[in-house]
Amino acid sequence: MIRLSNVSKTYAKSQKKAVDGLSLEIKDGEIFGFLGPNGAGKSTTIKMITGILSPDEGTIEVDGVNLAENSIAAKSRIGFVPDNHETYETLKGIEYLNFIGTMYGVETGALKARISEYAEMFQLSDALPNMISSYSHGMKQKLMVIAALIHDPKVWILDEPLTGLDPQSAFQLKQLMRKHAEQGNTVFFSSHVIDVVEKVCDRIGIINHGQLVAVDTLDNIRKDESVSLESLFLTITADETAK
Amino acid sequence: MKKYISLVKLLFVQQYRVKPTEGKRKRGGTIAAYVVLGICFLPMLIGLAGSMYFLGVLSKGLENVENIAATLLFVCQGVVLLFGVQTLITNVFSAKDADKLLFLPVNSSAIFAAKLTVAYLNEVITTAVMLIVTLLPFGIGYSAGAGYYLLLIPALILVPLLPMLISSLIAIPLSAVITKFGKNGVVKTLMQVLMFALIMGVYLFGMYELGFIGGSSGDVDGSDMASVLLEKLQGIGSAMKYVHSDFTLASAMLGASFGAVALNLLISVAENALLFGLVLALSIPFYRWILSASVEGTGVFRRKKVKSSDLTVKNQGVVKELIFTDIKRVMRDSQMGFQGILSLIMLPLMVVVFYFCFSITSEDGQNIVEMLQGQSLYRGIAPIVFLSYMSLLGMSSNVLGIYPISRENKSIYLVKSLPVSFNKYLLAKVILSTSAMLISDFLMCLLVVVLFGIDWYFGIAMLVVMGALGFGAMCITTLIDLKSPKLGWTNFNQSLKNAKNSWMAMLVGLVVSLIIGVISAVCLVGWYFLNAAWYMLLIMWLLIIGASVGFAAVCYRIMTGSAEKYFNLIEP
Repeated sequence: MIRLSNVSKTYAKSQKKAVDGLSLEIKDGEIFGFLGPNGAGKSTTIKMITGILSPDEGTIEVDGVNLAENSIAAKSRIGFVPDNHETYETLKGIEYLNFIGTMYGVETGALKARISEYAEMFQLSDALPNMISSYSHGMKQKLMVIAALIHDPKVWILDEPLTGLDPQSAFQLKQLMRKHAEQGNTVFFSSHVIDVVEKVCDRIGIINHGQLVAVDTLDNIRKDESVSLESLFLTITADETAK
Repeated sequence: MKKYISLVKLLFVQQYRVKPTEGKRKRGGTIAAYVVLGICFLPMLIGLAGSMYFLGVLSKGLENVENIAATLLFVCQGVVLLFGVQTLITNVFSAKDADKLLFLPVNSSAIFAAKLTVAYLNEVITTAVMLIVTLLPFGIGYSAGAGYYLLLIPALILVPLLPMLISSLIAIPLSAVITKFGKNGVVKTLMQVLMFALIMGVYLFGMYELGFIGGSSGDVDGSDMASVLLEKLQGIGSAMKYVHSDFTLASAMLGASFGAVALNLLISVAENALLFGLVLALSIPFYRWILSASVEGTGVFRRKKVKSSDLTVKNQGVVKELIFTDIKRVMRDSQMGFQGILSLIMLPLMVVVFYFCFSITSEDGQNIVEMLQGQSLYRGIAPIVFLSYMSLLGMSSNVLGIYPISRENKSIYLVKSLPVSFNKYLLAKVILSTSAMLISDFLMCLLVVVLFGIDWYFGIAMLVVMGALGFGAMCITTLIDLKSPKLGWTNFNQSLKNAKNSWMAMLVGLVVSLIIGVISAVCLVGWYFLNAAWYMLLIMWLLIIGASVGFAAVCYRIMTGSAEKYFNLIEP
């Protein structure tokens, strides 16, 4: 479960609120899609949930743990796939996974088993003994996904997770997201690929100019079944921009 | 030409861009720190400039003064070489911006020329400082004519060429070899350090051969040291004809007639131009190859059958894992590794150089250092002098401790998202930088014991003090870097341009030296008046050890007390 209550954030180098009074609750067993145009506040929201940024106002709870009061316990419940793939390039893939596993306190046996399972699933086993700097964009993305799942997190957060993945891996990832949610965990992901959001998510939220402008199941948002999510998204964000 | 100028602008601005968002209060603090440092270093610079002035005064009426001026130019070039060669290697031949430049519709020779120009401009800055404190006061003392001062401008342009070209000629083929065979990051780093040591070794050997270092003092007493120095400089200067471009430049600066000035200047410019042309002709074909080879690794890896040993994992504890991951990252990154290792081996090397500088043999064959070792005053004071020197330099040059957060670069988000106590993360950083410094400290202590005849028990005490002081200083430098880290760099050298960190580290070193100085001064006065009573030295060392342990504890508390606040302010 993720709960955001009246969360706001203004960057030090900016006067404008990147996120403005955002309140949102995502339940266990749910896949939540987070949509918004560029600069709408998606990544800022994700960075606040993962503890990378501190909100100026409001509170964030992860699996019932207040992030500000007990950040380590809250962070240990999260698995995070960033959008930029910036990582320790001079480590080998296996070293990076070992590092992440140690940081999350995963026991050696479980760590080995999970690496083996996911590396095989994403066909990355051959690459793990090599330096991350030699990986392609998609391979880095796969590594990030494996690293995020290595401690079996209660909350899985993915920022633009499908960018750079080949069709097989994208399919695997969607399956994994569904499986993870079915096990009673929470999956929160942002994407620009509206088709994927439409097919995978139980609920969606649309953010624009730092404010949540729509949040519900897809059916409830669009009311008229003949309207696509894409045209709905364009209408909502265009209206908000016009305001 | 337009593309070349744009590239130079881009690379230069990238290197020196300053964050525009600093608040007034923060800027005030930075300026205050610079002022304090300026005051601290001013006596040294004034002293050097003063010596040069008197050298100029003493040179009046001597023959072949151009030999002395040429020698001073050569000394300036030595300093430029010392600072410039690292920049050249990391900015030109090991820069990580190949993928950002190769797709541009620009000739590789233009890229190379632009990078070389930026490296050259850096060296011009060093040269300017050196000329201001050496040749300018020398000219004033010598009562040189207006032409001398006017020719300092071409000197500013010409002086950096020789050291830059020497290091280019060595660095190009070696970089090619490293790129070809050094796929392993650690090997690559070690090869770079070896190469640097080789250049410095050749340079020091040259200085030794020319008589700058060591040698005989003859039967000189203090009163006519200046004339001996002059004689020595002239002697060295006579060898300057082999560095002909310097000799002709010095001859132009001190030329008696317009014709002599013009002719010598013309020859010097032509010689430098010839050297520069030669280097360009040799290096450009290499450069394109080095550029391509440096991006070949991306997206390509060796597909081989994976053995279970390749996938070994082990949970070894958070702090240990943080430290070892950091070591691997530093050592496998040729720029970080090079800068990190170099800063650690330079100081023991400087102790060796100091030894050769002071190890002067008198005419009756007695070595001055050996002579001093027999004196109780030397045995009591020398360890303190070495301790202050080594602490000051050690703290201010340990790249691993000065930029611990900046080296995280864009991966800082990862650190912030991990469920790890921030104090553990910082502790790992401080332990790594202190441990690395301890290796350097150990070597230095060993060298001062062996070379300078310092008593072994003082050597051990020095190591204990330096360990504690190093830990404390690293806590402060880590905190300083945490307060305003330089993130988002594409080239680690850009991070090193966060000069404030280095200056602040130096300031910490100065404070530490001051503490040692005050404690030891009080105790040594007591020791002197009590007829060199051994227990006064014991008390002094116990006090210094106690103060350094206290310093470490206080610094650790300061770091952990305010680190989290600064950490939260970082917005990746």
